[in-house]
Amino acid sequence: MFTIFRNAFSHYRGQILGWGLSLGALCLYMARFYNTIAAQKESYMKMVDAFPKELMAFFSTSDASEMFTPSGFLNIEFFSYMPIIIGLFAILAGSGMLAGDEESGTMDLILAHPVSRTVLFVGRALAFLVATIGILAINWVGFLIGLPGSGLGLNALEIGQPFISLFATLMLFGTMALVLSMLLPSRRMAAMTSGILMIASFFITTLARLDENLETLAKISPMNYYQGGMAIDGLKWGWVIGLLGISALFVLIAWWRFERRDIRVGGEGGWRIPMILRLRQRQEAAGNDG
Amino acid sequence: MERTLAIHTQKLMKSYGSVRALRGLDLEVRRGEIFGYLGPNGSGKTTTIRCLLDLIRPNGGTVRVLGIDPQADPVAVRARAGYLPGELHFDENMSVESALRYLNSLRANKHAGGHVADWDYVRHLCEHIDLSLKLAIKNLSKGNKQKVGVVQALMHRPELLLLDEPTFGLDPLVQQEVLRLVKEARQEGATVFFSSHILSEVQEIADRVGIIRQGVVVEVAETASLINRALHRARIRFRQPADCNALANVPGVKVLSQDDGQAITLQIEGEMDRLIKTLAAFEVIEFETERPSLEEIFLAYYEADRNHVQ
Repeated sequence: MFTIFRNAFSHYRGQILGWGLSLGALCLYMARFYNTIAAQKESYMKMVDAFPKELMAFFSTSDASEMFTPSGFLNIEFFSYMPIIIGLFAILAGSGMLAGDEESGTMDLILAHPVSRTVLFVGRALAFLVATIGILAINWVGFLIGLPGSGLGLNALEIGQPFISLFATLMLFGTMALVLSMLLPSRRMAAMTSGILMIASFFITTLARLDENLETLAKISPMNYYQGGMAIDGLKWGWVIGLLGISALFVLIAWWRFERRDIRVGGEGGWRIPMILRLRQRQEAAGNDG
Repeated sequence: MERTLAIHTQKLMKSYGSVRALRGLDLEVRRGEIFGYLGPNGSGKTTTIRCLLDLIRPNGGTVRVLGIDPQADPVAVRARAGYLPGELHFDENMSVESALRYLNSLRANKHAGGHVADWDYVRHLCEHIDLSLKLAIKNLSKGNKQKVGVVQALMHRPELLLLDEPTFGLDPLVQQEVLRLVKEARQEGATVFFSSHILSEVQEIADRVGIIRQGVVVEVAETASLINRALHRARIRFRQPADCNALANVPGVKVLSQDDGQAITLQIEGEMDRLIKTLAAFEVIEFETERPSLEEIFLAYYEADRNHVQ
């Protein structure tokens, strides 16, 4: 399994550095930028007050004064949109974890070696897990470097809490893409569907802050259980565990499906509706017998 | 019987949706032999091999590879087999050496009886087929990628070699070298099961041949006997124009061409005894027979099938 993990992880190295360092630099900048905001609180307050409440809702807040608390500031300026940004990585990695190899045609060769499907699945899934943690850890380190000169006044644990919430959300969308890649005919379709669901979830959660009618729908939206920067004030472990629990369920379904289905030789697959096909085959067989 | 058979399938069936790729395939490949598996594109050759390695799951029938059910213990089968896929793809970002080392490390599964390759032997194989270990996979031609595929299939000295179109894309010199390596593997005790539609190479190295048609094995025979017993071609020159109807009426004889009644080319299926007895009534100047190539035999099977359909 370690060979599979090491090889899969080596494919993530560039992405970990790319996503990690670029967003890590942004984290460092944000930590320092808080001082500028705090120093010009009054003028910023006037500007933010002028924003329509619809716009503020997209930054996961309706109260402009939150901008000047550490948790509110980091939520608005960074964590509110991170699930969408790093979510892209999670969805592409999840959808390509196994289906990518099938479509590139390399899966046949790997599985012709004494490697079980379960070992391949677990090795790849672990690499994805570690890569996601790696990206978030580099981001977290970016904040840690920026915190000493910042007026945020947060310690390493406090700044780490939103990353735990973010991690759970990314896992959910990454594993959703994985399970869809096992159920849908192609990686592309799985990534697209997961992307649409992620964006839809973001908008539903956001708009539910403005429209009470959407509150019920927002309850089934995963983004509703993402705390963002507000996790600095206290992490809701129930939400984290819930998101990770659903992720674990997605992983189990994906594993179950991967264990049972045919490995594609290459390229994208086609739609099949097994029950209808089985019925048609039975009819054909009955016709041939007759 | 399982002890003497490397591959044994009974009534193997596999469908892709409404397409029935294997329709009750019965196949027996003996241990230690080179078995050529012939059939045109889409006849079910690759599907058979992928069922043997549990890459796809049959809809019915039984499979045993080296006495093991691949669905029950695929890892044990793969530990003892080497496979060259028909559609060969590698991680393009690797060098030849890193790709081979990676695949070799996947074999280090001692629980399944897997054993890794001796790297000196890998170098020996690469030298034989003129393959540099330092090259990047992404810069390799199709033929050179095929060479990497051949090396990875052979490098751990497997008990069973499953080769899907092994010489596809290779130049004639390397083709010969690959066939030589396959023979070498057999001499070391390996069973070789290889699919091909290049009949000359099957004829050259296979001990036995199986012909698959529309998902069913229609013929299995010793390569030599298949060639001997089947079609022959005869060219006959007569001293005077002859009425060839008598020859055309001989069972199993078909007139291929006729030139002024003095020269005739016939195709004879089966034994020649009745034709020769009929020819005794004519004054024959020349009588030349030609053994058919495997290709002609192969085409004859498909010709028969087309006629049957019509």
